Amino acid sequence: MNRKENNSNFLMGMLALAVSFPIIVVCSAWFFPGTELWSHFLENLLPELIVSTLILLLGVGIGVSVLGTLLAYLVVMVEFPGRRWLEWALFLPFAIPAYVLAFVYLGVFDYSGYAQVWLREFTGMPGFDIRAGSWAIILTFVLVFYPYVYMIARASFKRQKIQMIEAGKMLGAKPFLVFWKISVPLARPAIAAGLLVTLMETLADFGVVSLFNYSTFTTAIYSAWGDFRSIEVAAQLASILVLIAFFLIYFEKKARGKAKYYSSDVSHIRPYNAEGISGWIIFLFVFGVFMLSFAMPMLQLVIWSMKKYSEEISQFYFNYLSSTGILTVSATILTVAVATMLALPSRRKDESKALQLLIRFSTLGYALPGSVMAVGLLYGVQNISLVSIHLGGSSINHILFGSVALLLFAYISRFMAIAFNSTSASSEQIKPVFEQSARLLGSSRMRLIKEIYLPMMTPGILAGGLLVAVDVMKELPATYLLRPFGWDTLAIRVFELSSEGLYDRAAIPALIMVFLGAIIMLLFIRLDSEKY
Amino acid sequence: MEYQVNKKVSIFSVLAISILSTSFSTAVLSANDDSLTVYSTRKEHLIEPLFNAFTDKTGIRVKYLTGKGGALIERIKLEGKKTKADLFMTVDAGNLWYAGTQNLFQPVSSEIIKNNIPKHLRDPNGLWSGLSVRARTIIYSTDRVNPSELSTYQDLANKKWKGKLCLRTSKKVYTKSLVSSLIHHDGIEKTTEVVRGWIDNLAATPHAEDVHIMGSILAGQCDVGIVNSYYFGRLQAEDPNVALKLFWANQDSTGTHVNVSGAGVIKHSKNKENAIKLLEFLTSVEAQKIYVDLNKEYPASQKLKADNLIALWGDFNQDKMNLSVAGKNQADSVSLMQREGYK
Repeated sequence: MNRKENNSNFLMGMLALAVSFPIIVVCSAWFFPGTELWSHFLENLLPELIVSTLILLLGVGIGVSVLGTLLAYLVVMVEFPGRRWLEWALFLPFAIPAYVLAFVYLGVFDYSGYAQVWLREFTGMPGFDIRAGSWAIILTFVLVFYPYVYMIARASFKRQKIQMIEAGKMLGAKPFLVFWKISVPLARPAIAAGLLVTLMETLADFGVVSLFNYSTFTTAIYSAWGDFRSIEVAAQLASILVLIAFFLIYFEKKARGKAKYYSSDVSHIRPYNAEGISGWIIFLFVFGVFMLSFAMPMLQLVIWSMKKYSEEISQFYFNYLSSTGILTVSATILTVAVATMLALPSRRKDESKALQLLIRFSTLGYALPGSVMAVGLLYGVQNISLVSIHLGGSSINHILFGSVALLLFAYISRFMAIAFNSTSASSEQIKPVFEQSARLLGSSRMRLIKEIYLPMMTPGILAGGLLVAVDVMKELPATYLLRPFGWDTLAIRVFELSSEGLYDRAAIPALIMVFLGAIIMLLFIRLDSEKY
Repeated sequence: MEYQVNKKVSIFSVLAISILSTSFSTAVLSANDDSLTVYSTRKEHLIEPLFNAFTDKTGIRVKYLTGKGGALIERIKLEGKKTKADLFMTVDAGNLWYAGTQNLFQPVSSEIIKNNIPKHLRDPNGLWSGLSVRARTIIYSTDRVNPSELSTYQDLANKKWKGKLCLRTSKKVYTKSLVSSLIHHDGIEKTTEVVRGWIDNLAATPHAEDVHIMGSILAGQCDVGIVNSYYFGRLQAEDPNVALKLFWANQDSTGTHVNVSGAGVIKHSKNKENAIKLLEFLTSVEAQKIYVDLNKEYPASQKLKADNLIALWGDFNQDKMNLSVAGKNQADSVSLMQREGYK
């Protein structure tokens, strides 16, 4: 018995280690000597970048927490006009890749965008540069990432004990006080989990910050690599992001605390009913968010697409669709399978701090810029080849480079955070009593997993899978570098066109991508409504 | 139970698909021995017609893989002797120069290329050759700027342009190589002053794309900017009456800064002869015409007159600095811009 559990621990450890492989390679760059580049960066670049990165993280963090929580609270706790369809419509922005939203916003709202042109014409107010300062880029990130918080906070609000809220009401607390003093503290772990993912993705972003020409930490990473051709310093800088992400996870754990006041059943009673004018004000607010984050950008993409439809659509699109589809499906299944194995409850795991740390470490790939991680993977393979040659074998570079297998591996490593977040959230709800009673009854761990754990974790596994699917579909840098010949995806097509300034043509593959992403999100919502 | 079984099956099927497709892609490659493989940072829609024309003419098939410059160079380096790549195509002389220093290319000595492409657009050792030329020059609003006020890149640092200038971000290669050329001609000190003046004169945060610069000038945010000629060519093709014009910078001094897209034959190419054939073809009048038609770029070949549209903008003196200098100066140029806070 004990040996078996040791085995399963060992297996988990090996799995986590494998997933961490590219992260370890990137961090190992510190074994190489730093160059004089560091002093140039420290003097001229980093002070400013650290400040601007912190401003961005702070702004986006506060923005998504407030917006995501507020929206989730409104659709769960308050009855207002349009609530039924807005509740699911608010999921949809997750299907839009952040860089697509960024180029739409710039096209519409920057000085030369028609929103500003109209504004100037009708009000006579002077134009302004939306890329100056950091408010516009923060707003963009908030509108594209709020669904992370919204999704998790909504699920959490749904499981809050209605009695507690009723008690608050009966004691005469105003709605806002109930929200602030009862609901939000109870949902804190959920909000923190959504926030964590958002901040990691913001840290790693390169697309949006490039379009806004906003300098963050990734700017220094790419400058080290692209301008000064020092891949070592780039990796050293990137490993600092890993460190920051590690701290974020630590704080998230803290925020989560130990308290769990969840009810196992979900209530469909809404404690508040907003009638008349207040109902419509709430509607306008929620509808406004939906318009700004999804409907308007979609409309813009459609307008752009119409102009270039005949020029852009070709037989290549079969290829883009099939590569996107195959990669998305395979990567999702593999990622979720690994995440499930890592999240399976086990007493031994609870006891081993080292194993927990290792598993947490394996989720940090999400905070690395995609191309840095991908190159890290290539260098990792190269190192294995060097060892193999040293031992009298041959290089494996040519077998793995440009293979689907390596690309899938990159996806697993990159999106482990998303999948693991979901699977571990559902496994944490499994009480240790199952393990104890199974043991008492002499049941094997395998049987316990099959008959108790997996069925109980299924909602989390599926939810994680759908989120990973959307993310894999949108992924650009790792796919771009690691894909085999002819495996161009829709995301690559969007990038190739938009980076040449051909936004109207890029709108077509972008639109297809958002459409597919929206279908996945709808599946997610269906699953979600069955769950409750 | 059933759920678990299903999952196992699907994992296995995925693995099977991956392995099959991996072997499939290698099988296709090895099936055609004289076919060529090109790694390119030039985008698919800009290279595919060129390769089709080559295949039509010679029967040699061309496969290509697009990607980002830095990452693709690392991949070729790591693939080493086993690389499938025969030709590496990229934009910006800085990238070509860097690929050369990383031993990616082998020297090619071809009379055809030497005849077609002028000397300053080729690597002195024959490692790579420019294939199309993009002039980076001044663009101005025809409504608000009198071209007699314009003269040089350096002059855009003059106070008279305060609040009227739009520039592209220092993070893009075209800005880097323009500043590299200024360092080559004027030295670091003088160039630092120019860059400082530019930053003082900016009307908006430097733009990510040249198309945004043109949009900003049209919308009245700024009056002058610096862009690559082909972006203006594309805009003019869509709107012939657009209220913008190109001004050829530095005609009385060093000439207008040009950059190239180009290619070199990979050192470990398995198919050197055909690779050279493809490179030679790309410098031919036929291929050069495709470059011009597709993307409104200038031909690198001295044998071809530019597109009608480009002919409209008039002839200009090119900066004859050998383009490998742009690569050599790149680190200095970036350090300078970062010191001055050019975003």
